[in-house]
Amino acid sequence: MILFNSFRTADPLEYHKSFLKENCRPDGRELDEFRTTTLNIGPISTAEGSALVKIGNTAVMCGIKAELTVPPSDTPNKGYIVPNVDMPPLCTSKVRSGPPEEQAQAASQFIADVIESSEIIRKEDLCIQKEKLCWVLYCDIMCLDYDGNLLDTCIVALLAALKNTQLPKVTINKDTDVPEVDLLQKSPININKHPIGSSFAVFDNTIIIVDPTGDEESLATAVMTLVTDEEGRLCALHKPGGTALSGEKLQHCIGRAATRHREIMKLVDKIIESMKK
Amino acid sequence: MFASFKDKIGEAVLPGDVFTLELPSPENKAKAEKLICGPGLRRDGDNVSVCKCGVLRHKPPNVFWIDSQQKRYVPVKGEAVIGIVTAKSGDIFKVDVGGSELASLSYLAFEGATKRNRPNVQVGDLVFGQFLIANKDMEPELVCIDSCGRANGMGVFGEGGLLFRVSLGLVRRLLVPQSELLAELSALFPCELVVGLNGRVWVKAASTQHTLILANLLQSAENMTAKQRQQLFRKVADGAL
Amino acid sequence: MDVNEHEVSPATREFGCEQNLLSRPDGSATFIQGNTNVLAGVYGPAEVKVSKEIYDRATLEVLIQPKIGLPGVRERAREQCVRETCEAALLSSLHPRSSLSLILQEVHDDGSLLACCLNAACMALMDAGLPMSCLFCGITCVISTEGQIITDPTLQQEKESRAQMTFAIDSIEKRVMMSSTKGSISVQELQEAIALSQRASERIFQFYRDSVHRRYSKIQ
Repeated sequence: MILFNSFRTADPLEYHKSFLKENCRPDGRELDEFRTTTLNIGPISTAEGSALVKIGNTAVMCGIKAELTVPPSDTPNKGYIVPNVDMPPLCTSKVRSGPPEEQAQAASQFIADVIESSEIIRKEDLCIQKEKLCWVLYCDIMCLDYDGNLLDTCIVALLAALKNTQLPKVTINKDTDVPEVDLLQKSPININKHPIGSSFAVFDNTIIIVDPTGDEESLATAVMTLVTDEEGRLCALHKPGGTALSGEKLQHCIGRAATRHREIMKLVDKIIESMKK
Repeated sequence: MFASFKDKIGEAVLPGDVFTLELPSPENKAKAEKLICGPGLRRDGDNVSVCKCGVLRHKPPNVFWIDSQQKRYVPVKGEAVIGIVTAKSGDIFKVDVGGSELASLSYLAFEGATKRNRPNVQVGDLVFGQFLIANKDMEPELVCIDSCGRANGMGVFGEGGLLFRVSLGLVRRLLVPQSELLAELSALFPCELVVGLNGRVWVKAASTQHTLILANLLQSAENMTAKQRQQLFRKVADGAL
Repeated sequence: MDVNEHEVSPATREFGCEQNLLSRPDGSATFIQGNTNVLAGVYGPAEVKVSKEIYDRATLEVLIQPKIGLPGVRERAREQCVRETCEAALLSSLHPRSSLSLILQEVHDDGSLLACCLNAACMALMDAGLPMSCLFCGITCVISTEGQIITDPTLQQEKESRAQMTFAIDSIEKRVMMSSTKGSISVQELQEAIALSQRASERIFQFYRDSVHRRYSKIQ
């Protein structure tokens, strides 16, 4: 055991490769096996919607706050969604306190792109009265524990939190033109599409593993995140550089992403079902 | 893509280009195996791949390298460079040679220097020396003596003169044996010229004006064809400046 | 990858490029695609801050400066894409414990900005004489509302599109190094777009080669 640990410390890349050669991984998983995903919907009672998602050790909390505002002038019949991914120093030793680092900022941009691309919510649904009043949803995603595969976890957390979101009924008083919020009459928002992400890491240009841990991510030559919706369309193919990938490998990953989509959807539905009881 | 080396000599090549070694016929097999790859070329099994952008050069019988127009210097063992002394700490001087790290220079690495008889080197002085140690994993070390302990032209610079930077490609063109550029330049004004492979050139002519003219000519010769250059030099010789 | 000889190369705008146009950086280039223009400068291998030092390779830092205002989250995401693509192409293990910085200044954006950034970055890295295992180029494709795939779109075409993809293609095997997409795409469309980009990349690599030849033609 001591020998094994020192091997891991001395040459982590060789350590991982020696496992991959045998088609398994240091934590005992198969190459195309995800870590256990657990889902807790609605842990924050003060937010309109919330979810806590864990994939292996990676834990992400998403809270959704809704506010009333005036629609943006270029799209008067639409509300808007503001996502933000935060990686506090708590989640990993790599992050120092201060302004958000590149990874957190890139993740925020990625989540914003996924919301835009997948049309997870029809923004028209967030409009209450054209040019007058609409909802703005602040989706704050906080990484509590970082052990790789942040993007997948964030997307599941966002989707679960949106599914949990209840917005109060708002009517505009015709005489006074003042909006009246009826906190007793709450209704869920309509989820238009269900995007789910699957992340892959590439070792040595040939070996592809799914759901990389933090160690695997830092040792891999490339990482890639695929986001699919229930119709099998791609909402994002995010591969920020790294070594090149051939067409067949990509096709294989797309297939795996579709399976992953079904697995996660089943999980989300099961949790929501159990909450109703 | 897998063209032979010989066809591409003197042409510009790009990173990622791959060449096969000449197919060794039975009699010159031994020769083909002894191919020497210079800067910018990497052996990759039976192929040679280019990793720098520049002109492919060949020196018979089997030396190949890439001549690139880069500006940043990377220390190489044995190359003579001009450095600026930036700090003095104990027994060593720290010398800026334009690379990614400061080079160290021992006070004993001068001709005739002993523990008692220290060389007179101040911070800010220019030194001409060669690399004793230069590899990617270690701090480069400079010496101002050759292997016999002689200065051989190296050491601290005297008063006056002008130091300026040119591209590494131009420096190499100046230093080739029987350099046309150097011959044309020295025909213009008599001068003292020190050329460091790190892109630094030091000039001292009879007057400040001549020194400046030489410096400007060298810097402008960078992007000229031989014809343009000769024209310009002739103009200067006729007293246009 | 197999390219059909008689297939027409996908339409791209006029390219323009100039290398070594700035005096201070160790390598510089400007790349023009139609009206989109990006200026790139490379410094390095230079001294590295101790906190950023990596013992077995060079530290690469990429900064993207927008034309107006300060760099924001969007630029950060682009920087990540450019940096990781460059890291894969550069042989940074040849310059351990040193820093490379690449600064990209947007001069004008008329569509395909990220692709233009990648192209300018590649030309600047070449100009700096840094060791690279391969070259790379960036290509943007958009899918118009009629379902047509357009390569190297203008800003107008980007706005009218329903999906947009940017790929970085390597010069040796013409495979996808980087991918960044926007909008919902079917698998079929993705494959078509990749195939088109691979064909368009040939033209960009040929342009790289021509510009380098032109530059080195003076020095013989």
